[in-house]
Amino acid sequence: MPRRALAAAVVALALPLSACGSGGDEGGSTDASGKVEGDITFQTWNLRANFKPYFEGLIADFEKKYPGTKVKWVDQPAEGYADKISADAAGGTLPDVVNVSPDLVAPLAKAGLALDLDKSAAKYKKEYLPGAWASHEIPGMEGTYAFPWYLNTGPLFYNKSLFKEAGLDASKPPKTYDELFDDALELADKSDGKVATLANVPTIEDFGRYGVELMNKEGTAFAFNDAKGVELLTKYKELYDAKALDSQALTATPESSGKKFLTGAVAMNPGSALDLGNFKKQAPNLYKNIGITDQITSTGKVNMYVMGVMVNAQTKRTPAAVAFAHYVTDAQNQMSFAKKVAIFPSTAGSLDDPYFTKEDGTDETRVRIAAAKSLKNAVNYTPVLFSEQMKTELRNSVAKALQGKVSPEEALDNAVKACDRLLQQQG
Amino acid sequence: MASSSSTASSGTAAPRAASSGAVRVRRQLPTSPWLFAAPGLLVVGIFILYPFVSTLVNAFTDRRTLIPGEFVGLANFRELLHDEMFWIGLRNSTLYVLGVVPALVLLPLLLALLVQKNIPGIAFFRSAFYTPVVASIVVVGLIWVWLLDERGLVNSLLETIGVGRIGFLSDQWLLLLSAMAVTVWKGLGYYMIIYLAALANVPRELHEAASVDGAGAIRRFLTVTVPAVRSTMVLVGALSSVAAFKVFSEVYLMAGPDGGPAGEDTTLVMLVQRTGTGLTGRVGYASAISVVVFVVTVALMLLVLRADRKEDA
Repeated sequence: MPRRALAAAVVALALPLSACGSGGDEGGSTDASGKVEGDITFQTWNLRANFKPYFEGLIADFEKKYPGTKVKWVDQPAEGYADKISADAAGGTLPDVVNVSPDLVAPLAKAGLALDLDKSAAKYKKEYLPGAWASHEIPGMEGTYAFPWYLNTGPLFYNKSLFKEAGLDASKPPKTYDELFDDALELADKSDGKVATLANVPTIEDFGRYGVELMNKEGTAFAFNDAKGVELLTKYKELYDAKALDSQALTATPESSGKKFLTGAVAMNPGSALDLGNFKKQAPNLYKNIGITDQITSTGKVNMYVMGVMVNAQTKRTPAAVAFAHYVTDAQNQMSFAKKVAIFPSTAGSLDDPYFTKEDGTDETRVRIAAAKSLKNAVNYTPVLFSEQMKTELRNSVAKALQGKVSPEEALDNAVKACDRLLQQQG
Repeated sequence: MASSSSTASSGTAAPRAASSGAVRVRRQLPTSPWLFAAPGLLVVGIFILYPFVSTLVNAFTDRRTLIPGEFVGLANFRELLHDEMFWIGLRNSTLYVLGVVPALVLLPLLLALLVQKNIPGIAFFRSAFYTPVVASIVVVGLIWVWLLDERGLVNSLLETIGVGRIGFLSDQWLLLLSAMAVTVWKGLGYYMIIYLAALANVPRELHEAASVDGAGAIRRFLTVTVPAVRSTMVLVGALSSVAAFKVFSEVYLMAGPDGGPAGEDTTLVMLVQRTGTGLTGRVGYASAISVVVFVVTVALMLLVLRADRKEDA
């Protein structure tokens, strides 16, 4: 009897386990031309808290437009979003329509989990800005793997009172990298090292904006260890040594450096039009002294962040999922979303709307108009194949150079070597 | 048992078995424990054994988050030997054990001796010392980050008294020490409760006899209290060393996801998390690191228990 009981226990164990793992071998159809019907799930990235009515209205309108459809909306917190997607993807429970960024799309597309829209939804391509549509192409693969959704970029904010205290002209913020580095050194010198100008170590976007070639043209190897890359890191080392770069920059996150700017410990910080409201609410004194200037770039092209909406290639409701992903990202709905929050539509012609071109004298509008203008030739400098592990490798190498443990050349060589190895391991 | 099973299954024996209450009881005894244990076995099987075996298997593959991978033999372990970050993780996890365990074996014992006495208001102190144990580690971590920040309370106080600001969260070693201090601070109350239970069993006569012989407080502590709670100290040592070697939250919260400046404060479990998660996670390689963590923690336990047995002998 115990032997039988043991066998039963093993079977009982094996049954649920056999359900684990495989998940989605049954691939969905790539044909999106059928009838739009059925239940689908739509996942957003930390949007429910602030935009619940907008999304509920959007879903209700879609269900009304396509009777027989039902959209279940799930929202995931910002923290650990990639981990949540990877768990769903590995477990075969990825929602039908998913809010993604280009670097999240790349591994999903390589694993065959993102629908190629050039095949399934090519008719919509002309509705979007060409650069935005191309942002979800994956080097080494044919096709485009997500609808472009909202774009974002932003100016550089600076604290006018800190500039004045250091004897700098607050009405003339730095416009070039040389000016930025000079002002930063002066500010650190005048404040006896108590006020840093920047709070973050250079990221891959910073290297891109400085004019460094990030990857080779084929997208098979990284190249940010060129002379320009070394030059930028050497400048940052000077700033770090002079305390013009915050001493905690080596462990900083965008959130922690934002807080430093709010408390006046740091004189400059990148941001978006959304931040003005935060300054007004959380740091009224800073808001009174806030200066706004353009992103500093050597390429003439500012950095932009792109959000996308991906369709799960294994969805059982391809027509409904494609129709909904397009609906969320179409010109009308993107425009309506942009008017609720400081983001910018990726649809063709939307940025010519008076909302993005007509001044009304407020700072918010000024920032919005400047950002919309700069987006027309902006670049998403983060290579889509640049994974989280690669970002860590770069940050750690940069930190070693700033601490003086290795030279800037050696640090970037090491980072490129490590990133290339990870790239090859990704397959 | 096998015979009773075969008897039960034979057609002729069944009526005989049914007619005898004693036989029926004997037949049912072996089955019912399994039935009672089945839910527990299922949970253990699915949530402990399966992940454990899966980790062991994955350690010998090049599996990635979305790609099943193939058998690569000992390649992951060979790569570990040449991975600088692995050695940094091993160093930090080991230092954590060396820094935290002695403090967590000794300090809670002293604290337990202090709050053991039944004096008015002592319950308040017992509760106060236990409060960090029940506090969320995330909240604890954030509070200590605010306190130890370059512009935090501790640095402001240090500056006021003329010491100057100290980079608790920007210096590699100070950061690790700060994280250790938080681990000790949070663990004190937990181990204090264990010691309180042990101290309650120390016969008062022993202390009285030692006092009569002229032993002072320190001598009584060394000759009476310590030998009496020695097995509890071993238990605390074993528990805290395993927990210290597997440290994650404190260092992650204070040093950030990269593991401090240039990743120099990374611990092995942080490395597992960083390497094996996300859409491009190297599950096979992270599993190999997990296997190393498992082997070292088992070795630590055996080491402590062996030392205890030697003492007994």
